[in-house]
Order: sequence, then C-alpha cells, then structure tokens
Amino acid sequence: MHARRPLVGLLNNPVVPSVIRYAPNLVEYIDVIPDRLWYDFEHGEVKGGRFHRVTGAIEELRECARGRVLGGHGIGLSLPSAIPMDMAMVAEAASLARELNFQWYSEHLSMFLVSHGSVPNSQAGLGLPVAYDEELFDLVKDKLTVLKAAFGCDLLLENGAIFTPVPDTEMTEPEFLNRLYSELGCGTLLDLHNLFVGLANGVLSPLEYLEELNPDCVQEIHLAGGHELAGFYTDAHSGLTPGEVWSWAHKFGPRFKNLRAIVFEFHESYFDRLGLSGIAAELERMHELAQAVAPMAQTV
Amino acid sequence: MLVEFQQALADLVESPELCRQIRADPTRLQQKYDLSTREYDRLVKMVNQKAMACNCMLYRANRLAPLALNLPDSCRMLGPRLGPLLSEYSLLYPNTNVHFYLECDRFCRFILGKIEQGLDFDSHARAVFDAEHARIKVGLVASYTAL
Repeated sequence: MHARRPLVGLLNNPVVPSVIRYAPNLVEYIDVIPDRLWYDFEHGEVKGGRFHRVTGAIEELRECARGRVLGGHGIGLSLPSAIPMDMAMVAEAASLARELNFQWYSEHLSMFLVSHGSVPNSQAGLGLPVAYDEELFDLVKDKLTVLKAAFGCDLLLENGAIFTPVPDTEMTEPEFLNRLYSELGCGTLLDLHNLFVGLANGVLSPLEYLEELNPDCVQEIHLAGGHELAGFYTDAHSGLTPGEVWSWAHKFGPRFKNLRAIVFEFHESYFDRLGLSGIAAELERMHELAQAVAPMAQTV
Repeated sequence: MLVEFQQALADLVESPELCRQIRADPTRLQQKYDLSTREYDRLVKMVNQKAMACNCMLYRANRLAPLALNLPDSCRMLGPRLGPLLSEYSLLYPNTNVHFYLECDRFCRFILGKIEQGLDFDSHARAVFDAEHARIKVGLVASYTAL
C-alpha cells in the first residue's frame, strides 16, 4: 500500500527534456500532444501514407518517459464539430497511444475544424466556443463512443478558453461535462487557467463554474499563465500560473477525489522568459498542491 | 443547421470585414447560411460581443505563428508590409496547412510570386529570405522521409 496523490507534470514540448534533465524528480507525468509527433500530409498522397512520424521526437520522449507516466492530449479531432470524425487521425493517435502506453487520453471541448474544406484540413484557426445543447451532446457522445473503442483507455475532455460564449444554450458547460461523466464515464480535464481567461474577459464566474461542476468528473488539472493582447487576456501559455488560479486549485482540489495529474503548460517560445529555475519552482509549488489535495493519503 | 452555424462562426472569426458587414446588416447571415432562428439570434449576439475582436486577432495570430516561428527574419524584413501580405495570403489560402513546413513553403512561394510582380526586396533581404526558404525546404524533404 502506498499513498495515492495526483502526479505532477508538464505538457510536452521540445524543451521539456531540458527541464527533466534539470529537475528529474519534479516531473512525474508528461501530457503528450500526438499531433506534434507526426507530419500530417492530409490526403495520403505522399509515399509512406498520410502521417509521417517525427522519429527523433518520439525517441526523445521514450527516454523521458522512463519512470514516468504518459497521457495523450490531442488537439486535432475537434469532437464538437458537426462533421464526420477524422478516422485516419483517430487510428494514428490510437496507435501512438498504445505504443507510448498512454494511461488516458484527452481532447478539447472546443471546435477547431469546420466543414468548408475537406475534413482533414479545414482549420478554424483557434478553439471556438460551442453550443451546449442536446444536439451537440448527442454528437459528442457518439464520437466519444467511437474513440473509447479505438483507444481502450479513459477519455477526458478539456474546457476551452472562451472569449465569446454561445448565448442562451440549453446547458451550461459544467452541466454538459457532468452529463458526459454520468452517462459515458468521460472525465474532465479542468483547465483552471482557461477559467481565469473567462474571468479576466468578463464572460465567466470561475467560482460558480467550480461549484456547479461535479468534482468526481475532474481527473486532470491544467495550470498555465497568459498575457494581455489588445485589452484581452489570452491563454498564451507564456507565464507562471496567476495567484487566483492557485487559490482555486487549493480550494477545490481536495474535492477532486479522482484527480490523477496536475500539469503545467508553457509554450517553448517562452522558455527563455520562464527559465529552468522558474519552471522548477512552479513544479515544486505543484507538488505542494498535489500533497495538499490528497491529505488523507488514499490507498491503491 | 449546426454545421452551418459552426461554419458561420468560423467565417466571422476569419474575417473582421464580414463581422462589420453582419453588424451593419444581420440579415446577410440568413442569406449566406442555413440557420435556425435560434442560431441566427446567437450569431448576431456573438458578433456584437466586444471580444469577437479577440477571436479575430487570435485567428490571425495563429495563422502568423508558423511563419513567425520558421521565417522570423523574413517576417522582420517585410516589416509593415507583412500585415497586408498576410491578409492577401489568408484570402488566397483560407485553410491553414497543419504541416507547418508545407504552410511555410506555400507562403514562401507566395512571396516569390510577389517579388516577381515587383515587391521591393533588396539584395540583403532577398538573401535572408532565400536562406530561410532553403531551411524550410530541407525540413520539408526530411518530413517526407521521417517514418
């Protein structure tokens, strides 16, 4: 028997290996974006097929994965889009998930693809808000059922950073996530910084949101920092986690009895600004949070 | 139809000009897309939200990102000309290519076409551009064999 507390980790990017070499004991978990481990030639007209793997990055990840847990964090499937799911990408992601032994797989509850192009390449350009209605629920539910069969591991969906919520929806976002959990067992990847984005831009009350969300849903937390762009606060993954986000994590974290991982997201282009010591300090703070949210040391 | 609602929202985010047109005359939405009354009402409210400008900025920033990351010096050389060129490029190629080397190579070919049409690039700027384009081509060739 040993204490069970959430793992602490990072969203993978090309500089994460440097962080692991600098502070190996602080990184227990790596969230892997499979879309960054392949080149997508979209229509499969290239010799070797549509997806060409970035073998160097995969080998480096395998090295980093020794003694650590990996999970998948996809950005390409755009589950809420009212278009058929890209089954070739599902197959490729599921194949990587098996090879790299992802313990769970998350996607986003935002729309990244629209229909006016061909399915693989009609990027909306950013994660767009979705209408939380029965129609969308059924659509996402059907796709999650397909994904579950393909991946064979637990699935999570992440709340997005929203600037213009769809008005007058049949459900709130927490209600939508609660139902996905109760009806499908699909967990929530709770991005607390995305709630901060909503607060900073005046479109969301994080405390109301967190009170409404079924705490049992939450299996992973994302922390991050952002910055202002022309008067709007954005989820740029450019800085350390704001103080309010930490306070929500400490207030609500102990309720998340199914929490498996706490992850800090930063974009590699801000690595020089954050510095190795800055990221290590953030990871130490996350370990304190992990300990604080599991004070009763559940046994596994 | 949900698919039309989502398409309309994506089109608005892609085009500040379309946002302005719809704010001025919301009925254009119904002419352009097959929307329910609820979907129409939602889009009209959304396009009038202040933060629609943020969506548009982020869309543009995300289209610029692969170019800025892979062609930083060329972007710097283009200076204030980059904005209008990027707008023209985005109109010509409304879909981002998720393979960043393909996206950058396509942008370089677009710039080469502009140079042929008279875009002023002095010899130093041209050398910088050619060097970055060559690196993109090397990366692209490598990606074809990265299996």
